[in-house]
Amino acid sequence: MDIAATIRERLRTVYDPELGVNVVDLGLVYDIREEPDRVRVIMTLTTPGCPLHDAIVGAARRALWQALPDRPVDVELVWEPRWTPDRMSDAAKEQLGLW
Amino acid sequence: MSRLPLVFIITGMIGFAMFHAVSLSSLLGWLDAGVRGPEGWFNAHLFVLGWATMLAMGAFYQLIGVILQTNIHSEKLGWTHYAVFTVGLFGLLFGFALGKTAMIAFFAVLVLAGILLFAWNVGATMFGAAKWDAITLSAAAAVLYLVLTGLTGMMMGVNFALGWWNGLHQRLFGAHIWLGAVGWFGLLITGFSYKMLPMFYLAHGHPTALQKAVPVLWNAAALAGAAAFLAEGGAAAVTPALAILAAAILMYNVHILQIRKHRHKKNPGAGIRWSMYGNHAFAAAAALALAWALANPQSLADTRTLLLAGWVYLPGWVSFMILCYAFKIVPFLWWTLKYGRRAGQPGTPLMANLLDEKKANALLAAVAVAFFLPAAGLALDLEPLVAAGGVLYSAVSLAYMALLGLVFTR
Repeated sequence: MDIAATIRERLRTVYDPELGVNVVDLGLVYDIREEPDRVRVIMTLTTPGCPLHDAIVGAARRALWQALPDRPVDVELVWEPRWTPDRMSDAAKEQLGLW
Repeated sequence: MSRLPLVFIITGMIGFAMFHAVSLSSLLGWLDAGVRGPEGWFNAHLFVLGWATMLAMGAFYQLIGVILQTNIHSEKLGWTHYAVFTVGLFGLLFGFALGKTAMIAFFAVLVLAGILLFAWNVGATMFGAAKWDAITLSAAAAVLYLVLTGLTGMMMGVNFALGWWNGLHQRLFGAHIWLGAVGWFGLLITGFSYKMLPMFYLAHGHPTALQKAVPVLWNAAALAGAAAFLAEGGAAAVTPALAILAAAILMYNVHILQIRKHRHKKNPGAGIRWSMYGNHAFAAAAALALAWALANPQSLADTRTLLLAGWVYLPGWVSFMILCYAFKIVPFLWWTLKYGRRAGQPGTPLMANLLDEKKANALLAAVAVAFFLPAAGLALDLEPLVAAGGVLYSAVSLAYMALLGLVFTR
C-alpha cells in the first residue's frame, strides 16, 4: 500500500464528532501529496469557522503521526474550493439519512 | 479551549433551576399577581438575566469566535464581565427579595457595568474582525439593544430612588421590556440561527436574500416599538411596531424553511427539530396577536393580555429556543473540553453519545405542551390553571435541565 493509501485509510478513523462520519467519507480530504521531505494532507471542513476546527484537525494530525511516526506530515486546512455535499461518499450520504 | 462560555452556560443553567424552583414553591403565583413589584421583578430578572441572558452571553462568547474565525478581544475582560455581572445580578435579586432600595441600586450598577464590559469586549472583537454580514450585524445590534435595555432599566431605578422623572417612568418601562425582548433576544436568536441551522442541517446552497431582509425588519420593529413606548403613543403607535415584528417573524420562518429544504442531514437532532416547531408556533402566535391587536386595540392596555403576550414571547419563544439550542451547545462545549484532545482515538464518544436524544425529545415535547397550560390559564383568567400548569411546566423544565446537566457526567 502506498503512503497516500495508508494515510487515507488512517484518516477513516477520524470522525466529525457532530456528524459521526469520518473525514474521508465526508469528502473533506482534498489531496495527499508526497513531497521530498514530508507528506502534505490538504483538507477542509464542512463550513468555514466550523466550531470543531481544532478537534478535527488535531485528530487528523495525531492519527497521521501514529501511522507514519518516521515521516513529517503536514495537515493544511483550506477553504477554497469550498466543500459541497456532493463530495460525500455514498456511504456518508446513507449514514446521514439522505438515501 | 476557553472555559469562559462553559462557565456562563453552567451559571445560566443554575439560574434556570433556581427560577423554576422558586416558581414551583409559589405555584407561579408571582405571575398571576403581576410583575410590577419586588416579587415580580425578582422572578422576571432571574429568568431573563439569570437564565436567558447568562446562557446567551456564554453562547455569544462561544459562537462569535466561530462566526468571525478569531479569538475574543480579551478573555481577561470576559472573566471580569462574568464576575461583575454575576455578582451584580445575584445582589440585585437579593435586593428585590429584601426590598432594599440601596442594595438594588448598588447591584444594578454592577449589572449594567457587566453589560457594558460585555458590549466593549464583543464590540472590539467584531470591529477588529470587520466581517459584516446578516449574522454579525444581527449580533451587534442585539448587544446594542442589551445596552439600551440596561440603561432604561437603570433610569427606572434612579427614578425610583430619586423621583427625577416620574412622568417618564411608565414610558421607560415599556421601552425597557420591548428593547430587551425584541431587540436583544430577538436579534440574537435569529442572527445566530443563520449560522447554527445550516451547520446542524448540513444545509448548502440555500438562498440568503431573506437573511438580509429579516434583520432590517426586526430592527425596525425594535426601534418602532421602543419609540412608541417612549412617546406614549398608545395602541396607534404600538400596533405598527407589532405588525413589523410579525412580518419579520413570518419572513424568518420562511427563511429557516429554506435552510431546512436544502439540508443534507436528515436528522439535525431533537433540539434543532423542536426549535423549528417552536419558531413555526411563534409565527402563528405573532399573526394571531397582530390580528387581535387590530381588532381590539384597547386590549394593548390590558395587564392580562400583556402578561399573556410576555408569557408567549419569553418562556414560549426565547427560553424555548435557548433550551433547544442548549441541546447542541452543552454537549459541544463539554465534548470539546473533555474529549477534544482525544478526537480520533478509539473509544472517544461522539457528541450525540453525551445526551440521550430520545429523552431530550420527550422532555422538549413535554415543555412545549406544558407551556400552553399557564398560557390558557392567563387567557381564560383561571388562576388554578395557571398554578397547575405552572407546576407541570416547571417540573418538566427542571427534568430537561437535569438531563442536560447529566452531560457533565459523561
